[in-house]
Amino acid sequence: MNLIERVIAISRRRSPWICRLNAGSCNGCDIEITPLLSPRYDAEQLGVELHGTPKHADIVLISGTLTLRSREAILDIYAQVPNPKAVVALGSCPASGNVFAGSPLVLSESLDSVVPVDVWVPGCPPRPQAILDGIARAAKLLEDGATKSQLESRRGRLS
Amino acid sequence: MAMLKTILGNLLRPPRTRDPADMPEVPPVYRGALAHDAARCTACGTCAFVCAPKAITFTQEPGVSVSWHFFIGQCSFCGLCAQNCPTRAISLQADAPGATNSAAGDGLRLESVIRLQPCTRCGAAHVPLPDATIEALWGVEEAERGYCPECRRRAASEKLRAAFVPAEEAHHDR
Ligand code: SF4
Ligand code: SF4
Ligand code: SF4
Repeated sequence: MNLIERVIAISRRRSPWICRLNAGSCNGCDIEITPLLSPRYDAEQLGVELHGTPKHADIVLISGTLTLRSREAILDIYAQVPNPKAVVALGSCPASGNVFAGSPLVLSESLDSVVPVDVWVPGCPPRPQAILDGIARAAKLLEDGATKSQLESRRGRLS
Repeated sequence: MAMLKTILGNLLRPPRTRDPADMPEVPPVYRGALAHDAARCTACGTCAFVCAPKAITFTQEPGVSVSWHFFIGQCSFCGLCAQNCPTRAISLQADAPGATNSAAGDGLRLESVIRLQPCTRCGAAHVPLPDATIEALWGVEEAERGYCPECRRRAASEKLRAAFVPAEEAHHDR
């Protein structure tokens, strides 16, 4: 890694841009992101900025139960996020389907089977500071080049 | 003038923003991560029965142990398991679970092993009752303490029989 790449990696950790993707959430997890952006919990103290489009994001926050219809949307939006990227799964829903598992319209499986997830934030919903902690971890992984998509692309380049 | 006063006041007050590590105090009824005490669990299965998302499961190694499994990625922190556990083996802790880097498996699963004990009368392996329950039912001294459920039932019906049927009559239809 040369000096410029190193500086870019550090800057990315110091100011990760996030975008939010609701994959079929009950809105509980998304409601917890709002106080996170408020002055009280202030995600911007870590340089975190919320952006409306996946094309500007480094980290995607995915919340909610995965449904048959949201699967395509997740893949589509994930593909639009420029590399390097990280995925943070919020709450119990992406990990298993939570109480909705077993419903005919719900993919009762882990988000990992759709896109590579780097950080899991447990809770239903998680507290704002737990989400912030998850974002900080993902930002650290991005700096270290250790997110699953980064490892994957490096492996692809080597082989 | 009033505006100046507000601005000055705000400049002198500390910020309301919390550091990421400075967690606000949780209310006493906050339902955080689950903790399980294998010494109090009777493996009755009530917690798994009431859990809507099926976050609690059991596996067993016949004759050796029963394991209580919990997957935090499936829990909705409703607290029904702790509310319905007859021996209060489950408690919901006041701290929020933290984020983890790992895949949905490791770090998010809890396993608690309940060792089976041989019955002091017939030798059958069984889940021992918690000490508090034993003391409430039989006191500290009684022989029933180490019995398996089958022998406990037997001992109880023998006691009942002895209370109703005089000893010499009970003797010949044994
Ligand atoms: S984890 Fe809980 S709060 Fe979050 S979307 Fe699922 S049900 Fe709603
Ligand atoms: S934890 Fe409680 S409810 Fe669950 S099996 Fe053990 S004793 Fe029964
Ligand atoms: S708190 Fe609710 S969802 Fe979680 S294990 Fe207990 S019963 Fe299941």
